[in-house]
Amino acid sequence: MSTGYVAVQWSRHKRLYDASVAIGIAIYLGAFVGVSKAFWAGEHGISDEVILIRALGSCAIVLLHIILCIGPLARLDPRFIPILYNRRHLGVITFLVALAHATVAVGYYHGFGVLNPFRSLLTSNTNFSSLRAFPFEILGLLALLIMFLMAATSHDFWLKNLSASTWKRLHMLVYFAYGLLIGHVALGALQADRGSIGPALMFSGLCIVSGLHIAAGLKEYRKDRGAGTLVVDAGEWVDVGAPDEIPTDRARTVCAPKGERIAVFRSAGSISAVTNICAHQGGPIGEGKVIDGCITCPWHGWQYRPQDGCSPPPFKEKIATYQVRIVGGRVQVNARPLPPGTPTTPALASGGLS
Amino acid sequence: MSALPPRPSALSEPPFYVGYLPVPKPLAAFLWLAVPIALSILAIVAIATARSQRDPGGAVWNDAKAREFHGIFIARPYPMLLVRPTEGDTSKPDSLKRDTTSSSELFLLVEMGKHAGRDGLSAMDGKPVVASGWTLERDGRRMIELEPDAKALALQETSISVPPTPVIVPRGRVTLQGEIVDSKCYLGAMKPGEGKTHKACATLCIRGGIPPVLVTRDENEARVYYLLVDPSGGPLDSGAWPFIGDPVEVTGDFELLGEFRVLKLSPRDISRR
Repeated sequence: MSTGYVAVQWSRHKRLYDASVAIGIAIYLGAFVGVSKAFWAGEHGISDEVILIRALGSCAIVLLHIILCIGPLARLDPRFIPILYNRRHLGVITFLVALAHATVAVGYYHGFGVLNPFRSLLTSNTNFSSLRAFPFEILGLLALLIMFLMAATSHDFWLKNLSASTWKRLHMLVYFAYGLLIGHVALGALQADRGSIGPALMFSGLCIVSGLHIAAGLKEYRKDRGAGTLVVDAGEWVDVGAPDEIPTDRARTVCAPKGERIAVFRSAGSISAVTNICAHQGGPIGEGKVIDGCITCPWHGWQYRPQDGCSPPPFKEKIATYQVRIVGGRVQVNARPLPPGTPTTPALASGGLS
Repeated sequence: MSALPPRPSALSEPPFYVGYLPVPKPLAAFLWLAVPIALSILAIVAIATARSQRDPGGAVWNDAKAREFHGIFIARPYPMLLVRPTEGDTSKPDSLKRDTTSSSELFLLVEMGKHAGRDGLSAMDGKPVVASGWTLERDGRRMIELEPDAKALALQETSISVPPTPVIVPRGRVTLQGEIVDSKCYLGAMKPGEGKTHKACATLCIRGGIPPVLVTRDENEARVYYLLVDPSGGPLDSGAWPFIGDPVEVTGDFELLGEFRVLKLSPRDISRR
């Protein structure tokens, strides 16, 4: 949350996060280069530039796998949320590693010749109809462009100005970029090396990413199906459960008939409801906590007042609110969202309205 | 309306993380465990990926110190230098020494970068020259990368012991399987200098005049090299460029030029395997 824009809002956690990523990249590149130089030396030595291209390229792919796994891991186990917190930094760093790979590869394979390196990159191979001879470089270039787009718009300035939904859609292109990179590696390095370890590693990565997404999706599906879809009063009110089923300062998330999720919080003896989608990056507010009287999103700590969905001053973010009531000892929430920032009357956890 | 069962997990109090607040102790303990594990996995993946690389084969680029070679210059199909082998040539590692009793050795001549050929070569055709540059060698086949200096290839004023000019011996039409590579990278400028990832580089090299070579395997899996030329004996036709770096089958007229295997090839006689 911010009232103005700065390049990076540094915190101790972000510094530790970035330092861990830097150490991880250094370990990866160091191990790759060290092993390559140790095993292929002398007459059988692999060119230094080729080792660097391979080290940077494979490092970028591994980092992209980690990025893609963080989201579902955090859904499956909230202990991974601290890794999600600074994921955008990891994305930008991954782009820079991929850019370094592309720069060395274009310079080495397409430089020193009779053509401009970029012209060589785009024209040296046009066998698009042959899988065997397909210009895999184009797939990598497209993926790099998408990663650039994502890295360039990763700042909250763009999140705010593009709108959260457009920004989210733009950043979902990471899956398209991942597909392009699988093609880039499969039709390039794996086709050239013809070994079994490379394909096994790529397939394992694909299985891990897919498996985690499926597992997280199933968990969400089960949660939605089992969480208060009981509708009363002509479909307007949704049963949430008894007030004491909602943990103090926490929420219970229910599904409205049209599928949108509503986070119903209990705090200081009152029960309030807001949308489950954070205005920042669409984080699951229902998994948040009331801290200092404000609902706090688990992803990046954005805060909203339970009674009106407004961020505390000087911040100006707003989210949709919902009416709540207690009938027969059961909490009910109205399925119709109120415009973001609309004040509501919280229900008293002991029954009635506050 | 039925009551929803309470969820035990929801009733317990899991640690809650906020980036700008101190990390709860249970989460900090988890992260102190998870981060080193993640770093270890990174190292294991790096080692496995690095180990999975293929051996590029034995090739050497002697680029530390330039040497001078005296011989007869041949302009076609590609710039070459015909040299009488030096007695006791110790510049080559034993593993790279070729198995030949030929009285002369043909070196392909290339420039720095992905280029070959320079001004005034046709005037030197068949004349004694001195060439200065660095050697690249693989399987006993050697090439000279000329120094960028204009005097790196110059007519020889003093007389030299002229090696016998190789005779062209036609060997008939053959069909071969292999990969078209650029001779400079394959002989050691880039390792590996073959395969899909090197395809664009090989195309750029051959486009720049580096002699193209078909690398095949004999029955003992030993590499056999064929210098590729067009049917008239000139440089390979540009129609063959799309097949560079791919596994191909080619049909052409095989000739022996001294120790060189030469294949006269038309692009229409190349197909991807």
